Amino acid sequence: MPNKLNGLRTLVGAATLGASVLAMTSALAGEVTVWCWDPNFNGATMLEAAARYAADHPDFTINVVDFAKADVEQKLQAQLASGTTDGLPDIVLIEDYRAQKYLQSFPGSFEPLGGAIDTSKFAPYKVELASLNGQSYSVPFDSGVTGFFYRTDYLADAGYSEADLQDITWDQLIEIGKAVEAKTGHKLLSVDINDSGIIRIMMQSAGTWYFTEDGQVNIEGNAAFKTALGAWQRVLQSDIYKPTSGWTDYTGAFASGEVAGTITGVWITATIKANPELAGKWGVAPIPKIDFEGATHASNLGGSSWYVLASAPQKAEAIDFLKEIWASDVDFYQKILIDQGAFGTLTEARNGPAFQASDAFFSGQPVWQNFTSWLAEIPGVNYGIFTEEADTAVAAQLPVLKDGGDLDEAIKQIDAQVKQQTM
Amino acid sequence: MKNPLYLLQRALTYLVLIVASLLSVFPFFWLLVGATNTSADIIKGKADIGGALIDNILTFFERVDVPLVFWNSIYIAVTATFLTLLVSSLAGYAFEIFRSQVRERIFGGMLLMLSIPFAALMIPLFTMMGRLGLINNHLAIILPGIASIFIIFYFRQATKAFPRELRDAARIDGLKEWQIFFYIYLPVMRSTYAAATIIVFMLNWNNYLWPLIVLQTNDKKTLTLVVSSLLSGYYPDFGVIMVATIFATLPILIIFFVLQRRFVEGMLGSIK
Amino acid sequence: MLCGGERFDLARTGLARTERLNGWMFIMPALVLLGVFMIYPILWSLWMSFQVGRGMNLSFGGFANILRLTQDPVFQRALSNTFIFLIVQVPIMLVLALIFATMLNDSKLWGRSLFRTAIFLPCVTSLVAYSVLFRSLFLADGFVNDFLLGLHLISEPIPWLADPFWAKIVIIMAITWRWTGYNMIFYLAAMQNIDRSIYESAKIDGVPTWARFWYLTVPMLKPVILFTSVISTIGTLQLFDEVNNIPPNAGGPSDATLTLSLYIYNLSFRFMPSFGYAATVSYVIVILVGILSYFQFMVVRDKRR
Repeated sequence: MPNKLNGLRTLVGAATLGASVLAMTSALAGEVTVWCWDPNFNGATMLEAAARYAADHPDFTINVVDFAKADVEQKLQAQLASGTTDGLPDIVLIEDYRAQKYLQSFPGSFEPLGGAIDTSKFAPYKVELASLNGQSYSVPFDSGVTGFFYRTDYLADAGYSEADLQDITWDQLIEIGKAVEAKTGHKLLSVDINDSGIIRIMMQSAGTWYFTEDGQVNIEGNAAFKTALGAWQRVLQSDIYKPTSGWTDYTGAFASGEVAGTITGVWITATIKANPELAGKWGVAPIPKIDFEGATHASNLGGSSWYVLASAPQKAEAIDFLKEIWASDVDFYQKILIDQGAFGTLTEARNGPAFQASDAFFSGQPVWQNFTSWLAEIPGVNYGIFTEEADTAVAAQLPVLKDGGDLDEAIKQIDAQVKQQTM
Repeated sequence: MKNPLYLLQRALTYLVLIVASLLSVFPFFWLLVGATNTSADIIKGKADIGGALIDNILTFFERVDVPLVFWNSIYIAVTATFLTLLVSSLAGYAFEIFRSQVRERIFGGMLLMLSIPFAALMIPLFTMMGRLGLINNHLAIILPGIASIFIIFYFRQATKAFPRELRDAARIDGLKEWQIFFYIYLPVMRSTYAAATIIVFMLNWNNYLWPLIVLQTNDKKTLTLVVSSLLSGYYPDFGVIMVATIFATLPILIIFFVLQRRFVEGMLGSIK
Repeated sequence: MLCGGERFDLARTGLARTERLNGWMFIMPALVLLGVFMIYPILWSLWMSFQVGRGMNLSFGGFANILRLTQDPVFQRALSNTFIFLIVQVPIMLVLALIFATMLNDSKLWGRSLFRTAIFLPCVTSLVAYSVLFRSLFLADGFVNDFLLGLHLISEPIPWLADPFWAKIVIIMAITWRWTGYNMIFYLAAMQNIDRSIYESAKIDGVPTWARFWYLTVPMLKPVILFTSVISTIGTLQLFDEVNNIPPNAGGPSDATLTLSLYIYNLSFRFMPSFGYAATVSYVIVILVGILSYFQFMVVRDKRR
């Protein structure tokens, strides 16, 4: 087979000479290729970083390629599995939930960065997520620290001030929701009823996860998980939210002013700010707490980090670039916070002016300082390698719970499915 | 003839056809209207013409290198269609005209291969393209599709309608087999070729999964990939997506309108 | 008959050998390409179906993957969804196609080619385009709900893509919308071949329209009906594009639109990669297509001879 393929390769090679010459010239230039998924968000921050680096390194060029997030993941997975390193980028953005899956199932594919980059400068929980066997593999990008984003005007009409939203439980949130609808006619939340994101938020706020530290399934018998799922079932059965499906529908509900808020990660800021006419009418409160010993008002949803491929043609340059900008430039983090709403996790950056400032869009609240202090309180958990599978199993039970299904039975089903899928 | 029952039946026929046609065409209408509206209006279900068309087009051209992406799609679709028609029609013709036991077996095996989902073949195919040095090369998209089992099958069916007398007469005139194929079969079967052209062009133009895996840089992307990446991100702009979608649909529509008369005839040929 | 005789003579005069050679020459390019781009991947996936493990840490597992199939609730859900789509959608689509074709086969019908083009139009739409269309049409505040509310057909918005039942309905509508016209063309084409005089004499004998359709058209179209059902069976068992792109969460909500093909994709690219198990599931599709098509093809063959 290899011989035949080589013969064909020569043939094909002759036919593609033109194309190859073009490819060669771009390779010689030492271009660093980056894969990420949102040209308005992480793509834009990468370009900003590159511009800063290029100021001191005139030869530096970058090629930021954006695909849909699921597409980036699929391309990466297909390519790592094929064993072909041709065409892999130098740097790739990976969501934290998936990091361990890639690190563990494709050993040797990612470059350990612990030696080159001082990871102690980043929020420890981010570093841990991308560590394996004592090695750290990522330069942390954004945090998914969570908050309750709400319309100050609607809540005020219903008689709630900022102070009333501190230290509440999920059941109190339901009461607030009822009052808001009664007084203003607006639902409190926009909820994608088939998304298990909220369950992840609740779990992490109580320091638990689908899996134990050593990777065992931790669902049936996990009291914190049961408390979380039960609290969410009560929300689902209440009438305080607008059920939506999919991202556009979900964001459309609060962007249009139809609902009064949402509970999600800090990265939603850019989407909320995309409606400038609502400036001054938004605020951010801590998320409600589940009724469980040790639960907090701080959690995380999503967030991602930059990884360097071990096969990267411009490995040294890519690492130096990440080190100089992403791991040191405090000013850069102020810029992307203001321009893209990207909440970086470099600890020093927190003392910069943008993080200290209060935000007029958010009714003058010191939102970035708040997020910073919540970030410090996020309980660390190990996402393990099967979060996607567990999410699917949870999502499958959400409609059942919404229709009044038995909580214990649902947990049993989730547990069975996850155990089967992860064996 | 003109009894009331007949008239009723007639009215019913028109009613059904008009409703079916409207349902079929409606999404296209909606697409055109959507292209003139802002993203926020589209999400709210606005169904009349808005004033954002120029903005949407400008944003689309600003965010995407449209001529380049368009050229990539055209280049892949045209090259692939030409090669696929050549190679697969030759094979389909031969399976029908020159019959043998061995070839019948091969044909049967090919039909079974048709049922294997592509997702299962993607990784080995990618490994192979890596070895051939074809990653991020349009040839990696074109090559695997040239011998299309579906099109070979289609041409074999169509060839059943090809009059054997023509071939025999040509042989008496001393034409070689390849001359018969190119000078007699090809012109006679041009309606079949028209139909196959639309199908193959359509399949290549709309191809998504495989180009997504193989193409790595923005300058190689096809229109279909671009529309899809517009959909991602934290706030997709539906107005721009509508414009992009129109751009992505237009070439097939044009080809269909140009070839449609022949297309229906071509399908006729294949069933005979 | 005369032509047949001539051909026989030609063959006898020594051209048989050239025919054999030409037979291979014409097929060779296709065979070589298929050999390279089909056989190798197929053998690879066959070998993979006996491998177990995560990502690229693989080991030989014998029949472990087949055992896993029997205990996998998600696989069973995907299998049953796929069959629901097959059993519900394929007949609806083919019956509709047959009805439209019968109506359009009337040469006295005004605007035939217009209707034909309109109904055929959906199948030229690109997948991405039509996913975007259907997804936004069926949003909670989307056009379809507004329309139905406006007509007072429903009193509150239908949660199209958020509800397991309605999501299946949307998928069925989407596939039907896209492929009915395509199948109609096959029927229309076949109807051109039916001898018109049979219809005329039936008409004169006073046979009503429905009976002509049922006792004349349908039996004569049987081979084509079976042909389209084979193609649709393969298409539905491989159903991936629609269920991956139309629901906001692919295969959702709550796995209601998860199909076998999508499950294979998830196992390979979304979940912790289990390429071996994914390959095993794909051979389930091959076997199902094999069994279903075998019966369908047998009937087609009998009727045509």
